[in-house]
Amino acid sequence: MLEAHALTKRYNGVTALNALTLTVAPGDVFCLLGANGAGKTTTINLFLNFISPTSGSALVNGLDVTKEPLETKRHLAYIPETVMLYKNLTGLENLEYFAALAGKPDLTREQLIGYFREVGLAVEAADRRVGTYSKGMRQKVGIAIALAKGAKALLLDEPTSGLDPKASNEFSDLLRRLSGGGVAVLMATHDLFRAKESGTRVGIMKHGTLVAQHTTDEFGHADLERVYLEHMRD
Amino acid sequence: MILRIARKELLDLSRDGRFRMLSALVLVVSVVSLAAGWKTYTDLAAQHRTAQQATREQWLNQPKKNPHSAAHYGVYAFKPASQMAMVDTGIDPYVGVAVWLEAHKQNEMKYRPAQDRTAVQRFGSMNGAEVLQVLVPLFIVLMAFSAFAGEREQGTLRQLLSVGARPRDLALGKALGIAGGLGLILLPATALSVVALALSTSEGLLADDPWRVVALGAVYLTYFAVVTALALWVSAWASSSRLALVVLLTFWFANSVVASRVVSDLAAWLHPTPSAVEFQKGLEADLNNQEEMEERIERKRDELLKQYNVASVDALPIAFSGVSLQEGEEHGNEVFDKHFGALFDQYEQQNRVFQWSAIVAPMLATRGLSMGLSGTDFGQHRHFITAAETYRRDIQRTLNGDIAKNQKAGQVYMAGRELWDQVPAFTYEPPPAGWVLGQYSVALVVLGAWLVGAVALMMRAATTALVD
Repeated sequence: MLEAHALTKRYNGVTALNALTLTVAPGDVFCLLGANGAGKTTTINLFLNFISPTSGSALVNGLDVTKEPLETKRHLAYIPETVMLYKNLTGLENLEYFAALAGKPDLTREQLIGYFREVGLAVEAADRRVGTYSKGMRQKVGIAIALAKGAKALLLDEPTSGLDPKASNEFSDLLRRLSGGGVAVLMATHDLFRAKESGTRVGIMKHGTLVAQHTTDEFGHADLERVYLEHMRD
Repeated sequence: MILRIARKELLDLSRDGRFRMLSALVLVVSVVSLAAGWKTYTDLAAQHRTAQQATREQWLNQPKKNPHSAAHYGVYAFKPASQMAMVDTGIDPYVGVAVWLEAHKQNEMKYRPAQDRTAVQRFGSMNGAEVLQVLVPLFIVLMAFSAFAGEREQGTLRQLLSVGARPRDLALGKALGIAGGLGLILLPATALSVVALALSTSEGLLADDPWRVVALGAVYLTYFAVVTALALWVSAWASSSRLALVVLLTFWFANSVVASRVVSDLAAWLHPTPSAVEFQKGLEADLNNQEEMEERIERKRDELLKQYNVASVDALPIAFSGVSLQEGEEHGNEVFDKHFGALFDQYEQQNRVFQWSAIVAPMLATRGLSMGLSGTDFGQHRHFITAAETYRRDIQRTLNGDIAKNQKAGQVYMAGRELWDQVPAFTYEPPPAGWVLGQYSVALVVLGAWLVGAVALMMRAATTALVD
């Protein structure tokens, strides 16, 4: 579903991402690990076509994102560290608006409330302005948008950082349910525990290069941390 | 999609306390300016009706007298108040509304409302055109400056683009949302003005040429579209909403406040007009050129003597005193045409400078078209003056012709009501909308170019806008 072929991004001679090649199949949860500046966010921005690659290509559902910027986004959903919503609008109005722009303009209130329930948001919150929402609630609205859109691939950029353990756990459960339903997930994260818990594969990035790939059932949590730290040593 | 975006923008705006305060303020100012315009119009229209009637009655009820005395007695011609002057008073308050038509002289217009005002009123009067040309663009800028830049700062632009929103649709949707916000204010104001128009006139809702109303509406809508597109363009490329606001406020100030003053100086420098004293001196010098006038009368006398084949003027079948009076008039008319014509041509050249200057400040195109379509620009002032002057010359010709025909040598000739009746009442028909648009062809083209350019810039900036 998500493919990168020798994907490279350089800014004024500085290589942010170096010949990344990876594939995320439906049902996969691929966790990108690495220090700040390792190229994780750059990868996600390239898939979203927010920046254009210096060389190589990023494909979504077999289509090059630079050539079909709108068509490829129809399959994508994006959840950043904090999902940004319109604070003057209610949660439901936000969901309805983003779903409409994503190509689902005819959802009924019942359907929208259904997505709200599905991601574990209280129905009473639906008609409250988003200005009053906690971060965990915003992240859930982000997932609800992805659900309403029927996204086939999810791009997550440190979606659980700053969430309390309970909210973080709920978020992981949602991810598992989505990937179980055949969604391909690419997640950038610092959270090794979450990566082990909800990921099917991990990739370790260093200075823009993917230095290792493993499946998560290869090792336990402690092993993952050890492998990660070994790679981080200079 | 575009409508969906517009609806959200409007919903978002309407929940913003600052927007509500601001729009209430703009609405109040619009209504006040409209009320002031309505009052001015109804006052003027009433005064115009009574004065026009009074001057006609005075003319008709003159006692028996020599026609030339009647010519000196004179009549007033009043410029009818155009209904649309309610929106844009233009130069009317400064140039006067009435002219006295008498023998030998082309008088200047009198009764300038601005003369009767105190200094405070002069500053305090906000007419509809100022609201539309100055206040509304500011309102648009305040609604639009954060449209893209603000969303970029809040991170919602990322969210929007990630779901696959088409940037072009975003730009158009936001423009439409702003138009909606503006409509919330302008629609009630427009509805009120229609009611005011209906109440103000016995001649029907649109006594003026309806095409003028349509064209005026189109001009303002075009102008607002230009300002909106420019504001969205700046908001899309500016790195922060603060920068967008600063850039847009600078443009607003230069365009709506500074430009007209600078260009007015520029126009006066390019096409200078004489001072009132100089003008009067030049005019009188030519008028008092007795030689030229006498030559003219002699020529006419020789011509008549030859035509009737007689030896002296006393033998002519017509009274030569009437003929020579008319020749004097013709001499004066030539002088007036030369001097007033040159002066008025300069004013029209200045007007062209304003129209071309709209290339740098679109408000100048709007300003000219607004005055023109409201019937309160210099072009229509001149149109009226020309009509009144033609009427004055007709009166003189009628009266002098009557003298030539009826004056008997050695008698004091007295004319009466039959002659006064031969002079028709003065009627004035303002030019149609097409005539006005013809006068402002440059402004129209420039404003159209601004619209095309601004929308193109907005679309391009929206598609190339960076997400952060």
